Amino acid sequence: MAEKLLDVKNLKTSFYTHVGEVQAVRGVSFSLNKGEALGIVGESGSGKSVTSMSIMKLLQFPGKIKDGEILFKGEDLVKKSEKHMMSIRGNEIAMIFQDPMTSLNPVYTVGDQIMEAIIRHQGLSKQKAKKKAIEMLKLVGIPSPEKRVDNYPHEFSGGMRQRAMIAIALSCQPDLLIADEPTTALDVTIQAQILELMKDLKEKINTSIILITHDLGVVADVCSRIIVMYGGLVMEEGTAEEIFYDPKHPYTMGLLKSIPRLDLGQKKRLVPIEGSPPDLLKPPKGCPFAARCPYAMRICVEERPPYFYVNEGHRSMCWLLHEDAPDVKVETGVKRGIA
Amino acid sequence: MNKVNNNVLLEVKNLKKYFPVRKGFFGGETQYVKAVDDITFHINKGETFGLVGESGCGKSTTGRTIIRLYDVTDGEVIFDGAELGKMRESELKPFRKRIQMIFQDPYASLNTRMTVGDIIGEPIDIHNLATGKKRQEIIYDLLERVGLNKEHANRYPHEFSGGQRQRIGIARALAVEPDFIICDEPISALDVSIQAQVVNMLEDLQKEMGLTYLFIAHDLSMVKHISDRIGVMYLGKMAEIATSDELYTKPLHPYTQALLSAIPIPDPEVTRAKQREVLEGDVPSPLNPPSGCRFRTRCKYAMAKCAEVEPKLKDVGGGHMVACHLMDK
Ligand SMILES: Nc1ncnc2c1ncn2[C@@H]1O[C@H](COP(=O)(O)OP(=O)(O)OP(=O)(O)O)[C@@H](O)[C@H]1O
Ligand SMILES: Nc1ncnc2c1ncn2[C@@H]1O[C@H](COP(=O)(O)OP(=O)(O)OP(=O)(O)O)[C@@H](O)[C@H]1O
Ligand code: SF4
Ligand SMILES: [Mg+2]
Ligand SMILES: [Mg+2]
Repeated sequence: MAEKLLDVKNLKTSFYTHVGEVQAVRGVSFSLNKGEALGIVGESGSGKSVTSMSIMKLLQFPGKIKDGEILFKGEDLVKKSEKHMMSIRGNEIAMIFQDPMTSLNPVYTVGDQIMEAIIRHQGLSKQKAKKKAIEMLKLVGIPSPEKRVDNYPHEFSGGMRQRAMIAIALSCQPDLLIADEPTTALDVTIQAQILELMKDLKEKINTSIILITHDLGVVADVCSRIIVMYGGLVMEEGTAEEIFYDPKHPYTMGLLKSIPRLDLGQKKRLVPIEGSPPDLLKPPKGCPFAARCPYAMRICVEERPPYFYVNEGHRSMCWLLHEDAPDVKVETGVKRGIA
Repeated sequence: MNKVNNNVLLEVKNLKKYFPVRKGFFGGETQYVKAVDDITFHINKGETFGLVGESGCGKSTTGRTIIRLYDVTDGEVIFDGAELGKMRESELKPFRKRIQMIFQDPYASLNTRMTVGDIIGEPIDIHNLATGKKRQEIIYDLLERVGLNKEHANRYPHEFSGGQRQRIGIARALAVEPDFIICDEPISALDVSIQAQVVNMLEDLQKEMGLTYLFIAHDLSMVKHISDRIGVMYLGKMAEIATSDELYTKPLHPYTQALLSAIPIPDPEVTRAKQREVLEGDVPSPLNPPSGCRFRTRCKYAMAKCAEVEPKLKDVGGGHMVACHLMDK
């Protein structure tokens, strides 16, 4: 049995705004093993970033964890003080954000920022830390790292900054790396470099990764397990193969059908998911996807479905899996073995 | 492709667009960003021409220069037989009606203080196309065409979702019954599940109204889906032009090959089995592009000649155009 690193249990996070409580995360549970890469995909506004910010305890005002546990190495982070969290952040847990410019400090050189992390977390001397910083820049594929180490962030291109961020995140050899849309702002050729790097880390230093993205190609490539979020809840969880080839939730199916495939010859009309996502100020009481679901039944509007388990690791929050549900013919996912 | 015929609607010939940037504190020599540097292509009536390439390669500049949001530095833009490049503003007016543009950001591109009805009606007023009841009917009809309804006319942009706002932008572009629409990243800001709604709508409108599109995007999967032919740009140059099927099945330029190989496929077994050729390094600065072939600094096939001579865009058969010295053999 693989060792569990993170166990999020029934996490609920809300923003208490002047117009009311925005229930961004409404009861999310998942766990992550050592050395595993978990993908989080889902609709914009479904609570992916809020989930990761809750784990880091970096929620912006007026956000608050309302309920639930975040067990990291068996200890509940929800109960930890800010002081304790500061010793965990950038040490045992590191995070890469979508926009590297907001998280690199413009007045310090890239090298200084990596060294700071190394000195703080590994207690090396300044000299040794600089050597290590150059090594890290080399590892993330920055050309002539001996020179680049003395550059300021603005002297780096977008892709290089993102790699510098990753270098900082990894300088502390974290047990867990949370990457929130790490490649969205990058070109595909640079994205490919970053993804290769993340796969390497997982292999070489057994880092666990949570990768948040809207790009289904990216999760298919990097992640062994995937959770699909919608309306502040996990709609479906499974292995990459289960999610892509045998999805059990209509939102997952809809998502897969709405994207074009580069590698397939024939041009099929795309099948969009009609409508738009729910307002989390007044979340629907039943299934959050009911308003857009082609299979919605009366119960879907009235009562939130529980999780139905296809097998131990594959669950779906959908009434269609109830034994009394009518036997509708649902769409399947991606067909195996084409292309 | 069956949609392709011999009627050329737009011909872009040796188009250049340079932006001046001043160097040093005391003036000194003026440097130029050669955002678009001598590109040639054409678009047939009724087809969709896709334009792809990495950030900063000049896609938006190409679109904006065609529609004369920017002045032309050099070259020609021939639209339906007329050369727009050197026209004065007054001469351009009829073409400003026939050519419309849809922008990337549905949030920023709509005037937030105007009602949706007035946003769509504004171009009708500018071109004196209709007034009163007739104008209102046109607006209602457009709203329905883009999947909204007439009740929406009195509301404001902030009351709509991203996908709906993009529909409003499209309705506005359609209001003057254009022939040609430049779509600059029209879906990039939208959620995956909403992108398909907008793309399908663009395809339907094209069929109903006989529109021609220039579709700019960096998502090659979507561009391939919507386009009949595709142009691949690199650092202000056109690297390759082919039908969308041929570009995918038979890419000839090393840059196109690298681009295609970098794209992850949403299918775990297929994408993990894919031979990935990771392109090293970053895109060079357009202020100081490499000599010869601009791709040579990242190209694994680069030869001595590549640094010395700029490869010309040449037809290698059936309209498949490539700018690479490897084609000379
Ligand atoms: N500071 C805030 N104040 C109020 N509401 C917020 C705040 N931050 C996030 N939210 C709300 O929380 C919900 C979840 O947001 P979150 O950023 O987690 O979405 P996401 O899944 O990461 O989406 P995306 O794919 O667009 O990044 C949204 O409805 C959002 O409007
Ligand atoms: N108004 C301007 N003044 C100066 N330089 C400009 C201007 N507009 C664009 N550029 C430069 O011209 C080059 C091409 O920019 P352009 O916006 O056309 O790229 P793009 O291919 O559309 O990129 P993206 O995918 O990021 O939208 C870039 O180097 C850019 O910085
Ligand atoms: S011309 Fe030379 S450098 Fe340019 S793409 Fe072809 S082989 Fe590469
Ligand atoms: Mg987010
Ligand atoms: Mg652009």
